[in-house]
Amino acid sequence: MIDPMTVFAILAMAGVTYLTRVGGYVVLRNRTLSPRATAVMEAAPGCVLISVIAPDFVSKNPADLAALAITVLAATRLSMLPTVVIGVASAGVLRWLIG
Amino acid sequence: MSVSEVTLAGEQTSNGRSAEFRRGLAASTPVLLGIIPYALVLGAQAAQKGLSVVEVPLMTGLNFAGGSEFAAIQLWTSPPHILLIAGITFLVNSRHFLMGAALAPFIKHLPKRQVFPALFLMCDESWAVGLADAQRRAAAGLRPAFSLPFYLGAGLPFYLAWVAFTTCGAALGPVLGDVGKYGFAMAFPAVFLVLLRGMWKGFAAARPWLVSLVAAALVYLVVPGAWYVAAGALSGLVAAWFLAGEK
Repeated sequence: MIDPMTVFAILAMAGVTYLTRVGGYVVLRNRTLSPRATAVMEAAPGCVLISVIAPDFVSKNPADLAALAITVLAATRLSMLPTVVIGVASAGVLRWLIG
Repeated sequence: MSVSEVTLAGEQTSNGRSAEFRRGLAASTPVLLGIIPYALVLGAQAAQKGLSVVEVPLMTGLNFAGGSEFAAIQLWTSPPHILLIAGITFLVNSRHFLMGAALAPFIKHLPKRQVFPALFLMCDESWAVGLADAQRRAAAGLRPAFSLPFYLGAGLPFYLAWVAFTTCGAALGPVLGDVGKYGFAMAFPAVFLVLLRGMWKGFAAARPWLVSLVAAALVYLVVPGAWYVAAGALSGLVAAWFLAGEK
């Protein structure tokens, strides 16, 4: 039910996250960031998210690649729920057809 | 807080505070519905990676930062690679520094014993709703501009819903079976792509993301393990640093 390593990992996440939450208030409240540091901070979340899903862009399964293209297109114009539904449905259908 | 302000706050009484709390609840309700599908998907994915119905609320209740939880679960192994998980959590949540810095001028007057617990509830949604309200009140000449009960009213429902629905997802996940079958694996890229679209500020600002994508994909193809995430993220940050020098 509760694995010690999992609990350690969760506590590490929780500690790091809380530091980021109070850090801006504690460190930056009397300071202004350099434009360069601001640019890096603003780019960071996007860089992490795209890196996590990068393997999907070099998938060896043509059905999954085609479904990803459809999902990218959906994400540029639709909200969360329809995009997820379209992504999952297109992957399911294309895998059945060509995968 | 000076003596006169204490008297003033006292006059506003618990009645005024609960009205402010309810105003916060009302402001957050529409956004609340949007996070429920996320929470269910995260819980189901976590269950598939072997986290139990106790461990999932432990994570979402102590960490309470959805983006980092999605990233961590994606990289979860048994046993988990703690340094990698903590590093990725830090990178995904580094935006909190900017959010806290933006909020700082509005909460400077509050005692630290209220600020530190209140900042635990700072997520994208509660921050946006709280900051927007403080800016509106400041423009209208209301003092203090930042209303703590309003912020708590806006933030607490997010917290409770996030923990409750990720737990539901973890409990229901095994009933649904292998989420990877039938194309459900595409739910992750779909969620992340919509998050990225929300952060989109034009092509120029997105160039570091492209660097990250290419670097992460190359490392993924060449190096075994989850190092592609760290390699991709750091490449993008270095690119952002150099590109910012252009201006």
